[in-house]
Amino acid sequence: MKPLLGTLCLLGMLVHSGLGHHRSLVQQTQKLVDTTVTPWRSLETYSYNKYHRMEEIYQWMSQISEKYPDVVTQHFLGMTYETRPMYYLKISQPSDNTKKIIWMDCGIHAREWIAPAFCQWFVKEILQNYRDNSRIRRLLTYLDFYVLPVLNIDGYIYTWTTDRLWRKSRSSHDDGACFGTDLNRNFNSSWCSIGASKNCLDETFCGAGPVSEPETKAVSGLIESKKEDVLCFLTIHSYGQLILTPYGYTKNKSSNHEELIQVGQKAANALKAKHGTNYRVGASADILYALSGSSRDWAKDIGIPFAYTFELRDNGTYQFVLPEDQIQDTCEETMEAVLSILDDVYAKYWHSNSAGRVTSTTVALSLLVAFMSLF
Amino acid sequence: MRPYFFESRYRQLQAWAIPAPRQPAASMQPRQQPLSEPGPRGRRPVAPLLALLLLLALQRTGAAPAGPGESEKPGDNQEAYETAYEDYDYGLPSEFELPPWFSNLKTPGGPLLPEGILRQGALAAVHFLNFREGSPSDLQMLSTVYRASVWETAEKEQHVDVAFTTERFKPEGDKEKPLAECAARVIFRKGKPRPAVNIYCEGLAEKNKRQEDYLLYKHLKQLKPLLGVVHIPDRNGYIDPSLRPLWDLAALGSSYVMWDKTTNVLRYSLVQLTSVKQWKTDGEIDFDYTVQLHEFSTQEIIPCRIHLVWYPGKPLKVKYRCQETPGQASEVEEGSGGMVLTELTNN
Repeated sequence: MKPLLGTLCLLGMLVHSGLGHHRSLVQQTQKLVDTTVTPWRSLETYSYNKYHRMEEIYQWMSQISEKYPDVVTQHFLGMTYETRPMYYLKISQPSDNTKKIIWMDCGIHAREWIAPAFCQWFVKEILQNYRDNSRIRRLLTYLDFYVLPVLNIDGYIYTWTTDRLWRKSRSSHDDGACFGTDLNRNFNSSWCSIGASKNCLDETFCGAGPVSEPETKAVSGLIESKKEDVLCFLTIHSYGQLILTPYGYTKNKSSNHEELIQVGQKAANALKAKHGTNYRVGASADILYALSGSSRDWAKDIGIPFAYTFELRDNGTYQFVLPEDQIQDTCEETMEAVLSILDDVYAKYWHSNSAGRVTSTTVALSLLVAFMSLF
Repeated sequence: MRPYFFESRYRQLQAWAIPAPRQPAASMQPRQQPLSEPGPRGRRPVAPLLALLLLLALQRTGAAPAGPGESEKPGDNQEAYETAYEDYDYGLPSEFELPPWFSNLKTPGGPLLPEGILRQGALAAVHFLNFREGSPSDLQMLSTVYRASVWETAEKEQHVDVAFTTERFKPEGDKEKPLAECAARVIFRKGKPRPAVNIYCEGLAEKNKRQEDYLLYKHLKQLKPLLGVVHIPDRNGYIDPSLRPLWDLAALGSSYVMWDKTTNVLRYSLVQLTSVKQWKTDGEIDFDYTVQLHEFSTQEIIPCRIHLVWYPGKPLKVKYRCQETPGQASEVEEGSGGMVLTELTNN
């Protein structure tokens, strides 16, 4: 009931803010390609090869949790600046096992539409295949997936109604002189020290203070409360075709940097095997640019062992405005990369445990035999 | 009758691009032979022209390009190399012969310059290549960087020698894109835009390109004028095939702008064609339009107004004005404050 009320309120707000604004800007001579205007009703006809408005994504989330009630639950995370509800999906195979958490968020930057598209694709793939696919089933034995399809909801809606290239949130600053904080500069990781701006007009504006934004508070609140159990923090962006490790705010490397690079490179290889796309792997400060206050650096610093930023397609041709006909290939290859990382995380924590036990037992036995042979 | 006259600083750039010799002139040996050597492949249309231009520039300044075995032997020029040297090798395709002036230094050094600078150099070189080629049907984009040497001189110039492949800017799911192989020397003066670029490429299809340019020109002549606001591509990344040539021409003009604005840290790409101010097609195509560029390190979207004149086979003429103040997403208008007007003429 609650999600439905939320959706109705949301629709009311959207209609008020002017949904059809972009149409007046398009010339008649240009062929207009619009997403479906007729409201789709059932999950069976939901197209994962198209970009969806926020109200469709809200609806999709409810329908997904209704269709797979055994494994999916929808959770309230917090409210955005413009008082919209933030929801994440928890995918969890019921069992007696103690579970660890894999976190994935998409769309922290509003214009990076391919990211929320990938989060939806990921959820769909897991749910359509967890019964038959042994790889996914194995992962779900000990891992719960927490997926936040759109983190920057206000900004995402703004890219649909007003400015396709908007990046930040929609919080008001300087008494309405300017709008938006770069949510990926707002986390408490060397906040605003480098690669971020104190000027609210800039695209990398770090906000009034660390974790000043409600969206940042919501995410960090949840992760902080569960940090003992979070093994992997993935944040999905575009563009650049990169798998990035900590850090951005310093050239120093994390304690497990070699391992992160190795796992990342394996993921990039798995990605490339799918459609030939080249991804580069490295620390943000090395291969991207210096930046502070990022969610990924913050996650590493509070103790989450595997923390990656993905920059999806493309490499500069279409950039943020990636054509819909590339959604499928992008999502398929990214899926391979993410599964590769999850396999490695799984192997590290559950495979090696049993292997370790066998080894120590063998050692003990052989020592005993050796000792006894002395007599 | 030419409505506009544009000035080029191309030769001037070539002159200061070559570092002045720091040791006694006697040890410098000016190169006499052309910079490109005949290689296994027959067709090298671009290289001789560039080599000739470079040679002309060199003769004016009396300096010479450094090459292996000359002034840039390790130890010869201590001052120039005391800061940092870094060599990157990602596996050069074996058929590609690097031109003689491409540095072959083996001195190991600490990575003082970030790896990003080599990509910066390659991207600047590709923008410059597109501008100088002047062919909207054959725009190139960076594919893979194979090899690079980067070093910083005592004068704080960052030199990037980079070997890379490019592919055609025709992103319609075409897997078999022809690759051109390029080697470029890019020199950044710290903080200053418009890096000096010497670039040499194999595999750019000269004949096809001219034919395709002419077809594109004919198509554009038939296009009905559509003045006003457009969004190409639209928000879903779609470009109507009939409007594709318009976008190609806009991208060609943008290449000049992006090269002109590139610094050692600022990197640009074209996001969208946002409006058509003026469109004339008797004889040359006279195109006045606005675009949005994306700057990577600041993540800013920069609106620019560009005015170009193009005819197939002729050098491109372009002038532009970009809005630099962040946060102002409105269209660039005449007479507003805070803008830079750059005029440019090709001789």
